[in-house]
Amino acid sequence: MTDFHDNDLVARVVASGDTHAFGELIRRHQSQVRNFLRKLARDTELADDLAQDCFLHAWDKLRTYSGRGTFIGWLMKVAYTTFLQSKRKSKRYGEILEEAGHLADAESRSYTEPVDEVTDLDKLLGVLNEEERAVVVMSYACGLSHREISEATDQPVGTIKSLIFRAKEKIRTSFEIEDHKHG
Amino acid sequence: MRSKIINMADAMKDAEDLVLEKLLGSEAIADDGFSDRVVKKVRRRLWVRRLTLPIAAAIGLSIAAKPVLSLLESLRGLLETVVPADAAAVPALPSLPLLFGGALLFVAVVAAVQLIED
Repeated sequence: MTDFHDNDLVARVVASGDTHAFGELIRRHQSQVRNFLRKLARDTELADDLAQDCFLHAWDKLRTYSGRGTFIGWLMKVAYTTFLQSKRKSKRYGEILEEAGHLADAESRSYTEPVDEVTDLDKLLGVLNEEERAVVVMSYACGLSHREISEATDQPVGTIKSLIFRAKEKIRTSFEIEDHKHG
Repeated sequence: MRSKIINMADAMKDAEDLVLEKLLGSEAIADDGFSDRVVKKVRRRLWVRRLTLPIAAAIGLSIAAKPVLSLLESLRGLLETVVPADAAAVPALPSLPLLFGGALLFVAVVAAVQLIED
């Protein structure tokens, strides 16, 4: 099973519901998916729950993978959608709690960590908007090519390149500003 | 030629790219039973789906049985008024409402199953 190409494993899953083949696909890509979600969610447990959801969604939607792009590009699209859906739900839940006067509870469920736990990496990603953050993480943390990121985000390769360029410029500018402040 | 140059430019990484890769890059996350847990969940889901369909069909049939029977009864009454009384004595005729009811039930079950699958 380890010698098979991703697309062959997908074909086996689609044709006969082969859970062993699907298991092999998970083993191959779990690290990239979990890494991506950990960087976006900034919460290891939540990210791993989302990764599980992502693979379950992938199982349900595997028939929609045409095999034209790479499997990891398609899988990252599922992971990113799972993350966005979960965030939307969490926001709605937060708003309901806020309305009910349970703001503290809502804050504990938010996606950002407490101020004293904010790392340099969080600061770095913090200057980017969600779209830029996702693209930067896919590119630099997961090692995806521009084409794979374009498949995952449904955006043209040119847009991905300019998003990365803009993100790098933001990081550069923000850290220069910080240096001046401290200096 | 031009596309080759563009591809080469894409492949080239500047110092910033390397710094970002170093900052964001992390070691591969060990599986630690993650894939087995997901596969177990997938298998459980498959079983639940396999069982849901017949259970739902059985429940649907048990709910629909009473109205279907009363419908068959009224159809039989209707047939008796349409078909002459002496014709009803022919052995093949009494099975007609039963056949009709059976076909109706079959169509209803198929439709219900398709609805559930969708």
